[in-house]
Amino acid sequence: MNSKYIFRSMIAVAILGMASCKPELSDISPSKGTADFSRYIAIGNSLTSGYADNGLYLEGQKNSFPEMIAGQMKSVGGGAFYTPFFKDSEADGSGYKILTGFTAAGLPIIGDQNAHTAYRTTTPPKLFTKYVGEINNYGVPGIKLAHINIPQYGNLNNYFERMLPTDYPNNNNTTYLNFVTAKPFTFFSMWLGNNDILGYATTGGADPTDQPTPKAAFASLYTAAADVMTKDKAKGVVATIPDVLATPFFNTVTLSSLLAAVHATAPTINALYIKTGQNATRAATAKDYFVLPLASANLIGTGAIPYGLSPFNPIESQWVLDQDEAAIVADYVSAYNNTIKSVAASKGLAVVDAYALLKEYGAGKVVNGVPISAAYITGNLFSLDGIHLTPMGYALVANEFIRAINGKYGSSIPVVDVTRYRGVKFP
Amino acid sequence: MKKILLSCLLGLPVLGYAQSFQVNLQGQKQTAMGGAGTGLALDEAAVFFNPGAVSFLKKNGVQAGISPLYLKTAFRENGSNVTEYNKDKIATPIMGYAVFGSPENRLRFGLGIYTPFGGAMHWKEDWTGRYSVISLDLQAIYIQPTISLKITDHIGIGGGLVYSLGKVDLKKALPYTLNDGRQSTAELKGNSKDFGWNAGIYVETVSGVSIGVTHRSQVTATVKNGDANFDVPDAIRSRVPTKFGAKLPLPATTTLGLGYSPSEKTTLAFDVNWVHWSKYKELGFDYNNNFVSPPSPRNYHDAAALRFGIQNQTTNRLALRAGIGYAFTPVGEGYVTPEVPDANRLLLSAGIGFKASEKFHIDFSFLYENVEKRKETNIETQLAGEFKTLAYIPGISFSYKF
Repeated sequence: MNSKYIFRSMIAVAILGMASCKPELSDISPSKGTADFSRYIAIGNSLTSGYADNGLYLEGQKNSFPEMIAGQMKSVGGGAFYTPFFKDSEADGSGYKILTGFTAAGLPIIGDQNAHTAYRTTTPPKLFTKYVGEINNYGVPGIKLAHINIPQYGNLNNYFERMLPTDYPNNNNTTYLNFVTAKPFTFFSMWLGNNDILGYATTGGADPTDQPTPKAAFASLYTAAADVMTKDKAKGVVATIPDVLATPFFNTVTLSSLLAAVHATAPTINALYIKTGQNATRAATAKDYFVLPLASANLIGTGAIPYGLSPFNPIESQWVLDQDEAAIVADYVSAYNNTIKSVAASKGLAVVDAYALLKEYGAGKVVNGVPISAAYITGNLFSLDGIHLTPMGYALVANEFIRAINGKYGSSIPVVDVTRYRGVKFP
Repeated sequence: MKKILLSCLLGLPVLGYAQSFQVNLQGQKQTAMGGAGTGLALDEAAVFFNPGAVSFLKKNGVQAGISPLYLKTAFRENGSNVTEYNKDKIATPIMGYAVFGSPENRLRFGLGIYTPFGGAMHWKEDWTGRYSVISLDLQAIYIQPTISLKITDHIGIGGGLVYSLGKVDLKKALPYTLNDGRQSTAELKGNSKDFGWNAGIYVETVSGVSIGVTHRSQVTATVKNGDANFDVPDAIRSRVPTKFGAKLPLPATTTLGLGYSPSEKTTLAFDVNWVHWSKYKELGFDYNNNFVSPPSPRNYHDAAALRFGIQNQTTNRLALRAGIGYAFTPVGEGYVTPEVPDANRLLLSAGIGFKASEKFHIDFSFLYENVEKRKETNIETQLAGEFKTLAYIPGISFSYKF
């Protein structure tokens, strides 16, 4: 007998035989439970649209959490899902931020990506190329809950104007809520309310036109929105508002990081002065939050009276969310979230506690071998704007929505593989 | 055969498992008998199974064999509907033995080359657990010169020095995305050369039961100056290492084996292995360039394997063999990793031996390993899901007696 022949035939038989004997895992049976996913619509703001890196662009849209959920719903009877994508030739959308490198000191250098934007006008209000076609993802960056019943909103928000058939400035009769509910739907996600407090926080409380939506108004608007969404027996899921103060936007530039930078040239300086929301000047404490853009503004220590180092030239209110303003933000977020949870309970809707979720991951957690935290750039959770999520962050959110839906309606929508989605891109 | 053996020795990717990354495919007769054979003076593979029994072999001989190993693992993340499989990869652990010296003398000599540890686990580049591991090729080939002394007509002792040639190639993804969308990866490649020993005692009792006790020492495979190839974005290239060092304990194994022949034609063998896995506490790598990565906890515990085999010399030319075994996993709850998705396993084996002539023998074995389903969450990586592994291992050896 030829040994080579024996060896070869054994291998051949073995491979043929064994390839058909794959190990089997326990059975899974897909189920839609008591919900009907045949037309799922997503309503919400930037977080629903897939906004990231300070812009809305095609890659972000493709990695929005509603896209992920809809993809997973397909195995339990989900229907077609349409996001108003930017065209490939206008993939940069609004333009967005990119990481271009690090300084010698290890600080990130942030650049702009805007070679192929989707604007149809160049002068303000900059309007986008119109989107024509079916829509399931109605996420509109910038929208507040307080905006959903404004008939002229199509003239006020270029992301909304983009979805509407009528051009600016002639959108005087289409509220957001009417627009999204015009066509029947069977299931919805609603993640609204973030911008009702976010703008106040990110402008350091300094913008008189962007003050928090009053709590009572928020409650009545949210209840009314939930009424409209569920009036035709659609089932749905809502989410709470994340803790803005736990984002890198408010935790990357800190008193100690600013002082450390100042110490490079002025080692004796031990205090920075801020202008508070109450128009008082005082030394900053660790309980005041500085906003992320202060890092790239390069203001500290500049001028004849060094900026921020002297009480006679304090850091302006727009760069700092002082302790009292931060308390206001926390109070409003908490009140809004109580409203969201109680309305969801009364309507029998599933709830995603995004506040708890992002707090949990922000504090540091490992997911399938990937370290996740609220650290700017390296945390994999938040995109370069420090507020919106990375595709990986949105995938974590999508899975939490899926778990909430499955828990409420007894469905078995499979989770997404979080590791398939990226964190921040490095050059 | 020579060519095949040679090509394997020259570094074809070798290996698979039997208990974690221990490989128990050291002789075709023994493999066909559930991996038992420490209490028998069966053939040249006694150099591995019990050096004390080598002096009881009736003939001298040389033997060479191979056990192409096909191992398939399925993984499904908790809550997902996607089952992922490792890539098809045939590992080829080899074994070769020689026994010489006069069979009439009390002192005999042996040489063994075998593969007691290894793994060849290759997942797809984009699989869910890629931040734990994409691929691991691990092998340790032991070369063992051996002496065996028959102290009395019924008691033999033997021992050998083990020279271990180790090789590791580990690849995993890193959570840095390049601008072109690719993931960063790290690949660690290194070699080790270490020493150990293997000693045994073999006793034929008046009752007809033969007893073997052996101990194979731990070898600490030590990689120095291995290559760390980090494929990362340029922005962080200056911060990653280029070299690494590591120590991996290849644990000691203590075995009690019993042999018994109820009739002239039938032989029974029973082995209990105690593998000292508890030395494997963590997998850590030391890097240059001030790069620090915390060690990955393993916290294995000692684990036993039970093996039972039977051989029937059906005709003068033909022997039939069968065996069954059960190996307890050394991997505790929360420590299952995808490079070695270990669990308790059932072993079923069968084989035939064929005497082409008095001098030339061929042995075939087939081993089936059914590793129990295991669903858990890794403490370190939080990779949560269910693993299931099956292995199919045919094998063949040729021996020449003189």
